[in-house]
Amino acid sequence: MSRRGRPDWLVIARREFLERVRSPWFVVVTLLGPVLMVASIVLPALLGRAVDNSARVQVVDRSASAEVGPAVVGALTAVGWKAELVPASTAEPALLGRIKADAIDGFLVIPAESPGGGTVAYQGRNAANPIGMAVLQQVVTQVVQALRARAAGLPEDKLASVLAPVPFGATHTTGEAHGSSGMAAMAVGYAVMFVLYMAIILYAVNVLRSVVQEKTNRVVELMVAAAKPRALMLGKILGVGAVGLVQVAVWVGMSVVSMKYRAELLGVFGVAAGSWNVPPLRAADVAVVLSYFVLGYFFYAAMYAAVGAMVSSDQEAQQVQTPVAMLLVVPVLCVQLVAGDPRGTAAQILTMVPFSAPVLMPMRWLLGGASVGELLVSMGILALSTWLVAMVAARVYRVGILMYGKRPSLRELWRWIRY
Amino acid sequence: MTTIAVRVTGISKRFGNHLAVDDVSFEVPAGVIYGVLGPNGAGKSTTLRMMNDIIAPDAGTIELLDGQHPGRAVAARIGYLPEERGLYPKMPVAEMIGFMGELRGLTGGEARRRAGAWLERLGLTQWARNKVQDLSKGMQQKVQFAAALIHEPELVILDEPWSGLDPINADVLREVVHELRASGKTVLFSTHQMEQAEKICEHVCIIARGKKVLDGRLAEVKRAAAEEGRVALGFAAAADRVAGEATLAAGTLGAVRPPRGGTDDPLAVEVELAAGVAAGALLAALVGAGVGLRRFEVVTPSLHQIFVERVGRDAASVAARTEEAVA
Repeated sequence: MSRRGRPDWLVIARREFLERVRSPWFVVVTLLGPVLMVASIVLPALLGRAVDNSARVQVVDRSASAEVGPAVVGALTAVGWKAELVPASTAEPALLGRIKADAIDGFLVIPAESPGGGTVAYQGRNAANPIGMAVLQQVVTQVVQALRARAAGLPEDKLASVLAPVPFGATHTTGEAHGSSGMAAMAVGYAVMFVLYMAIILYAVNVLRSVVQEKTNRVVELMVAAAKPRALMLGKILGVGAVGLVQVAVWVGMSVVSMKYRAELLGVFGVAAGSWNVPPLRAADVAVVLSYFVLGYFFYAAMYAAVGAMVSSDQEAQQVQTPVAMLLVVPVLCVQLVAGDPRGTAAQILTMVPFSAPVLMPMRWLLGGASVGELLVSMGILALSTWLVAMVAARVYRVGILMYGKRPSLRELWRWIRY
Repeated sequence: MTTIAVRVTGISKRFGNHLAVDDVSFEVPAGVIYGVLGPNGAGKSTTLRMMNDIIAPDAGTIELLDGQHPGRAVAARIGYLPEERGLYPKMPVAEMIGFMGELRGLTGGEARRRAGAWLERLGLTQWARNKVQDLSKGMQQKVQFAAALIHEPELVILDEPWSGLDPINADVLREVVHELRASGKTVLFSTHQMEQAEKICEHVCIIARGKKVLDGRLAEVKRAAAEEGRVALGFAAAADRVAGEATLAAGTLGAVRPPRGGTDDPLAVEVELAAGVAAGALLAALVGAGVGLRRFEVVTPSLHQIFVERVGRDAASVAARTEEAVA
């Protein structure tokens, strides 16, 4: 009897794919992913409204004129804060004691030099609330500026026209005709990076778990008698990867739709969308994102497969996978280097190194920081590294899947690779 | 049809400081049921794994079927039931069996058809769509057989097939092995359970501590052991026993031993023949001395007894203990 059926890797990939796609969890996660994505847009907006940024404050006015304090109290009360003026002689320990006793949230000290100079100091337990502090700073600034203007002889109506807001808009463009909102471009870049990071980690770890499970339920013995370990590893990576591709494609599709109808979605929850102009995702951009998912997934999945072959239990796998996970976490922590200056040296290096390129290059590309040439070089490096990693991983896998018990030392690992 | 299904020549395998298999050679004629016997840790599984290309021997060669080396080319013609049983717990039963068939070279349609046939034969048809993990242990064992045999291999290699089987599945397996044999397939299995082996094997190879102890046709192995063995005597009367023991007193013919397995018949004894003494010579001497006998029988030792004598009591008792533990 000769072999007539499908090649082993395909039979194995099909099994891995079907087992996952049929699981109710797959449907739940696939559908829940976009729901979470929508929630990540709507929830902050909802929560932002819900949080009360006002506070109970006491104001100590030590300035000579004693004009600043009452004006600040008045302005704060006007924006909904509970503010009261206390005697200039009130000592700091007494004020701190009131915060401790929960009588007030904080206190503002107006220095003797004010409004001419000096530092207006606030101490309070809400000092880390950025919105609250912005309000406070704005109130103090307006009051002090008004007093300075009066001292300089500027009438109040003139002052209003001087201090009138200057409309400013940033548009993100790479030199092509239609730019888009800078904030929106950045948001999409971050979202893509995050989805890539999540998807690569999720599915690469899935490969690891699957390898470990085959070892713990001993089905691996049956498998290696019927198929080459290399076909086993390839089939597993392809099968799990196909599941990932389906899921990521669904997610990308859903998020494009949800971004497009963002205003309507927010409107359903009664939140204003703001005037973002979401950058159009071109087919080329989607292709870049998916290419990096595929390459990055292969790169990391091969590593995780080798790690899975080295260990005999899930607990052990947790320990050993940490260094591999760090390879992907560190680039994510470096995201600001790419987002801040997509054409800078740091961005160039990070998007060429195969460990970080899968998550950072798509972002840099979407922000217009990379030329097509750079994109191709980065992809080439990643593809070559993936091939190398897969070769080494296959050797570790081949020996490792039949080993139970002791984890190999680095020297043994080197022997496996050369074996 | 080849005449030799498996030819193993001088294979050795070392794990660290432990020599698991030490220069083992044997031949398995095509179309027989062949038992590789030995105590635990004798190197049986290692030998079988080398035949399945799971590990490579350090030295020696293995030829399978038409002289092919273990590997992909011959895998479609071999079935293997590993000692470590395992299936994919979340896979539907019929797919699990079909999947193994596809890996062994069947087309998808053919694998599905045969998986259905196997399930029907094993009485598991109503479970076809259930997941493997929903099945009882006994049913999973049946699925395991089907997964090993779905591609109708010419050579079937079973590693400790009876370990952990309940009596009903043990019978199912024996039936399957006989059917395979009847359809001209070669069945090679390993076991430390001598009783199972004795019931079913035509050829045996005993290995212990990585080395081959003996091999050959079971009938010949037993005949050879019988020749150097024992004779069971039944005296006609108490006086005959006295006369008989007097004849044997010199010790040149053999020594009187209590019967194996024990008896409360005072007239039954066993004689362990001295070296070089044939059973006929003992009979002639007893008859010549006028000893009345109602029974004279050359005792054919059981495979277990042969195993104990050849492998040594220490090694064999390890095997017997595990056998008890399994039973």
